[in-house]
Amino acid sequence: MTYLRNIQNAMTDISKNKSVLFLGQSVKVPGNLLYKSLINVKNSQKIELPIIEETQMGMALGLSLNGFIPVSCYPRFDFFLLALNQFVNHLDKFEDISSGEFKPFVLTRVLVGSKKTIDAGPQHTQDYSIALKFMLKNTKIIKLKNKNQIIKSYKNALKEKKSTLFIEYSDKY
Amino acid sequence: MKIQIPKKFQSVNKVKLSEKELINFEKIIYNLYQSGKIKFPIHLSSGNEKILIKIFSYIKKNDWVFSSWRNHYHALLHGLDPKKLKHQILNGKSMYISSKKNKFSSSSIAGGSLPIALGVAKSIKLKKQKNKVWVFVGDMTSEMGIFNEVYKYARYNNLPIEFVVEDNGLSVNTNTKKAWGFKKKEYFKDIIYYKYKLKYPHHGIGKWVSF
Repeated sequence: MTYLRNIQNAMTDISKNKSVLFLGQSVKVPGNLLYKSLINVKNSQKIELPIIEETQMGMALGLSLNGFIPVSCYPRFDFFLLALNQFVNHLDKFEDISSGEFKPFVLTRVLVGSKKTIDAGPQHTQDYSIALKFMLKNTKIIKLKNKNQIIKSYKNALKEKKSTLFIEYSDKY
Repeated sequence: MKIQIPKKFQSVNKVKLSEKELINFEKIIYNLYQSGKIKFPIHLSSGNEKILIKIFSYIKKNDWVFSSWRNHYHALLHGLDPKKLKHQILNGKSMYISSKKNKFSSSSIAGGSLPIALGVAKSIKLKKQKNKVWVFVGDMTSEMGIFNEVYKYARYNNLPIEFVVEDNGLSVNTNTKKAWGFKKKEYFKDIIYYKYKLKYPHHGIGKWVSF
């Protein structure tokens, strides 16, 4: 089974939980690999958003406060940098700052842009996961380098209810 | 423009706290800070008691309220127990007052609460719940890009969220109008806006404290 097929199956698996909502750009309409990855997920569980990276991450946090399990999707790590205020200052610190009153649970998917077929250059292909690791206190990072870890990793995150950042690699799709 | 309250808002809630009780709460925190018992930043409220009591009469108990680092009045008026609020402040959480029970949250980052409030509003609409979201921001935050994004998305998608702009003219000590270079500001008609004079400094109490 290919990397893409594993991702698709993992997304279908987690979408069996009716509280799961996928949000981002090209989750509902073609445009990038995220669309392909979610092709078997019902449209009613997808929220197609404009380009509002930071707002998207905050929205995901807000959706989780009222009982949803958001999966916030970004097609390139380079674009995800625009969401870091909500990701690092808010989602990652929310339980701490709220004295444990709120325990938001958000899954975040970030793709590292492809270099193999078409090299999209320095603003579309970076992997900043090592730097990000130093900024996070409470959020797990899982780098999905091996296709065999994909389904299990998403399933476990849903079970553990711990906010997790998944790094996917477009070159492996 | 000193106050803008859209006509759609009606009193739905009898606010139990008086202006004096709000002022007295901040005086207690002032004294605790002065005596060195709070070793963390505090941002005291003042000068907006009357208008806030009016605004909170529009807010139902089950509504969500999002605030900023200056949140003590908002928290009290949304029903947080003063003892629990004081406990959070003494434990260094003044800038982040939160209560799941009271559906109250705050952030110490300018504009930080806005998209979170938007997400809650979206969830309310998806779940067909009856309550709504209120988000309080300062005048400088209301000029930020994130405010523009959140307001637009909320209104285009008819989400149950109200915006309250509290204008003390300053962001820390920077004059909002001068820094931006405008003289007059008009807000959208569905936004609650009021101007007030903060009697305390941006943070602390304006006196040197030895800890």
